Amino acid sequence: MIARPLPDQQASPAPIGRVVATELKPATPHQFHFWTATETNIGIGAIVKVGAGSGGEGGEQEDRVVYGVVTDGFAYSDLATPLHDVVGAEGDPTRAAGAPTARQEIRYWTAAVLRQTPEEPLQPVPLGLVYVADDADVAQALRMDAFLYSPAPTAIPIGLYTSAGREAPVYLDADFLLGPEAAHLNISGVSGLATKTSAVEFLLGSIFAHFPAHKGRIAALCFNVKGPDLCFLDQSGDLSDEDRRRYERLDVPPAPFERVRFYAPLKADGVNLNTLRTHPDLVGDVEPLTWGLQEVVDFAEVLLNRDDIDAKADAFIDFLRDRVLGRTFEDGFGGTHRVQTFADLDRLFRSIFDGLEIASGGRSGSDTWRTHHIATIRKVRNRLLNISTRCKGLVTDDGPSSDLPWSEFTDRTVYVIDIANVDPLGQDLVFTRVVSKLREQLERRELGVDAVIVFVDELNKYAPGDGTETYVKKMLLDISERGRYLGLVLFGAEQFRSQVHRRVVGNAGTQLFGRMDMDELATPGYQVLSPATKSKLATLPIGELMVRHPHFTQPIFVRFPKPPVLRGRDGVERFPPAADVPFEDAVVRQLVRLDRRIRPNQVKDLIADREPDDVRRALAAARRTRPDDAFAYFRKALGNRITAEAPVPREHQAVPPLNQISDEPY
Amino acid sequence: MTWWQALIDAGAVPATFAPSPSAGRGPSDDTGTEPAALVEDAELQAHPIPERSTAWIPQAVSFLAGIERWSVVAYDGVVQIVNAYVAAAIRRRDRRGRLQTTRERSRTFAIAPVKRMKAPLRELLEQSAADVEPIDDELVEQPARYLEQVESTVRRVRAGLERDLAEACAQALPADEWLVLDGLLSRSPAVARHPRALGVIKSHATQFLEGRGLERALTLPCGHRTSVFAVRGGHTRTEVYSWYVRLWPWEGNDLLYGLLRIEARADSETVARATALSGWLWAERTPLATPATRWDRLLYPLHNVEEYLKALAPREPSHLRRVSRLPQTGT
Repeated sequence: MIARPLPDQQASPAPIGRVVATELKPATPHQFHFWTATETNIGIGAIVKVGAGSGGEGGEQEDRVVYGVVTDGFAYSDLATPLHDVVGAEGDPTRAAGAPTARQEIRYWTAAVLRQTPEEPLQPVPLGLVYVADDADVAQALRMDAFLYSPAPTAIPIGLYTSAGREAPVYLDADFLLGPEAAHLNISGVSGLATKTSAVEFLLGSIFAHFPAHKGRIAALCFNVKGPDLCFLDQSGDLSDEDRRRYERLDVPPAPFERVRFYAPLKADGVNLNTLRTHPDLVGDVEPLTWGLQEVVDFAEVLLNRDDIDAKADAFIDFLRDRVLGRTFEDGFGGTHRVQTFADLDRLFRSIFDGLEIASGGRSGSDTWRTHHIATIRKVRNRLLNISTRCKGLVTDDGPSSDLPWSEFTDRTVYVIDIANVDPLGQDLVFTRVVSKLREQLERRELGVDAVIVFVDELNKYAPGDGTETYVKKMLLDISERGRYLGLVLFGAEQFRSQVHRRVVGNAGTQLFGRMDMDELATPGYQVLSPATKSKLATLPIGELMVRHPHFTQPIFVRFPKPPVLRGRDGVERFPPAADVPFEDAVVRQLVRLDRRIRPNQVKDLIADREPDDVRRALAAARRTRPDDAFAYFRKALGNRITAEAPVPREHQAVPPLNQISDEPY
Repeated sequence: MTWWQALIDAGAVPATFAPSPSAGRGPSDDTGTEPAALVEDAELQAHPIPERSTAWIPQAVSFLAGIERWSVVAYDGVVQIVNAYVAAAIRRRDRRGRLQTTRERSRTFAIAPVKRMKAPLRELLEQSAADVEPIDDELVEQPARYLEQVESTVRRVRAGLERDLAEACAQALPADEWLVLDGLLSRSPAVARHPRALGVIKSHATQFLEGRGLERALTLPCGHRTSVFAVRGGHTRTEVYSWYVRLWPWEGNDLLYGLLRIEARADSETVARATALSGWLWAERTPLATPATRWDRLLYPLHNVEEYLKALAPREPSHLRRVSRLPQTGT
């Protein structure tokens, strides 16, 4: 349980202003106006308190305490019209500035009510004295007291409220950030200010440090979709003393993530990793992400467009999925198949075509197999086998897969999947499959953790408000709408919130805003913000955010420390990516990573003159098995060299065309 | 409940008469013709005064002004019973040009010819009104002249407040600080003899010059001052030195437009300083004292003191703030 802050040591804090109300601008239950001295340290976003017993208009005592956040400010003098200033200065601005007497000025502020105590009856704000809120007041004003000081606190620090010369920690309620009450977080802001990604990195660290034990275990899965953004989460970044002080104030350790697991697909060569984390000192921690037929076939729809998948093709794919894949299957022409890879599938298709051709004897005969027309079979073959070509490096033709540990996710671990350099189709596949698997495992409670935060940047690209429906968008909508019941939480980031799908941002219980573009702020979604708040948003410095959270009745500005991890750009400078190495060297490197006793020449001699596909297959098997003696295992998996045999003459040297479907376009 | 509400409850007739707002001195202070003796130049001359950019402006100045308000709140027969409020304040201008109140006084009181009131109402007035200013009852039967007498009484009380404040301030005035009064300096001998006190007079009911001198004074060009002359002013007839300063061009307006009369200590040093002091006051025309109707002659700091006092003044009873005095129809 977090201790309540002691009331301000100052016995009677000095008021900084006084509530005023006129017929034109009255105080209401939701808004009030007050004035301060011309020199004041409060500004837009400051939290103030209209204090108890501060005396109303008639000097009467008020028990009501009202907390408000400053949303607008005005300054004006007793100048009746600007023309009078011109006349007084005789048209010379320097004369006006040099006037012996300064005009009477006012600093007049508008504040939106955050909370009233007592809450009932809800009444207009009393015309009392105004004080700057201290730590305890901030907790009260933001309704944090309920989840901060309870026996089972669910408070997650999000940053420091730093207005009006004060500095108070601001907390989010884990029940409303990570479920089950509400969930999901969305962060908007212009690019290039190191705010969105930094904020999420800090918040993940804060969540890992403060996620309450009674809520179980939690992990995060981050899709790295651009550059090296998330490639160095396990490396320390430079922190200033001020940042360290803020970490201390927020009780968050200023250290990089202890447990990070990186995944990246391979490049087209099948051995070099498709990521910027390829520095020799770091690449050992990157697991290849490669999927085979078994992993991909359930998501074939992701990779095939609507023209590809008609009802007949869909039925045939279902047939393959249900009756063929992973089973011992007789093709009806005397062949027995066990299809586990794309290569196996290709062999099955060839067997079917050969069988049909032989059965027809070159004449127009049967053109169906197991009720499926040969044209449909050819079409599905073309499309499915093309997947491994289009997603080379991610989808392997005949090697075993290398996947995330779907039932062994560990507590407080970040899983980073680097798909920054993967083509959009491959990204679609990764998103869809990973999210589907997460959901599936969470539903079965077999993931290893109770909640997973999925961080996706660039929602403008992956979940746009307009444009075609993609599987990624469907997945993101699915998480947004149903994820919180499962513990699947979406942390999304984008530049233009107004252009992200409404249901994705609308379902985000917590919303963060970094510096915003004025054009974006002019869109209807920001109408609830005052012009001054918009102006502040448009000029927010790095490290400052506006927070909306279900407990906060008004947006609150907070400052968060720089994340303690190495920023992507800095990481690339400190750990420059290694150049792609030749095939043999890449194989050596991966085997040495499994077993440091392996000598490079030993491996190079072994794989000399061997088919690269055979080598990849053996390597993948060794990688997946992780044997004690990696070299021995690799050698066994690679098998003995087999001398090519002379081809046996076949009965039919050439396959005659199938007359009836000779004009088919496949 | 106010004291006059108690009177009305006891049988007095409610009233709503309030005089037109008067922001300046009445005629009694400054009317007629007074002889003046030139103490500078052989005949009255117009002297140019320094531009603001080169003007000498004291770093610390205190400004004194006052306000008055009164209204007839009840009738006992034809006896008009008045509620009055007067206040005066001194606001000191610091190095940043900001004005801060250093001294202020106010008085709320009733004005009534108590001897002419019916006994029950008189007793009630004496019980409920904490401060009653007696007034001569001779003019009770002449309501218009009676009100002039009321106005004079209020003005006298206000002048008393201002004089007290000015004397207190002048006595404690630091060596480098000046005191500027809204009105006659000669009202208080002590203040009139102070080396760093100035009176700024906006109304010109009393003429001190004649002939060619008067013409030169009233047609004084903007940015000029007249020669210094000696006058005796106020009830004490204290001698002070005086001169005119034109703040704004009068051409196209009227003779008194932007015309101030300045009073200062009757001393040769005043003559020597008249040009410098005039340059300072000329610089004070910015910022404009708008929206005051006499902004052409009202220095902004004095306007600010008046506004300060108005902000603190008790609000007028709601029945006095009625827009229309048409009979109420009850609908």
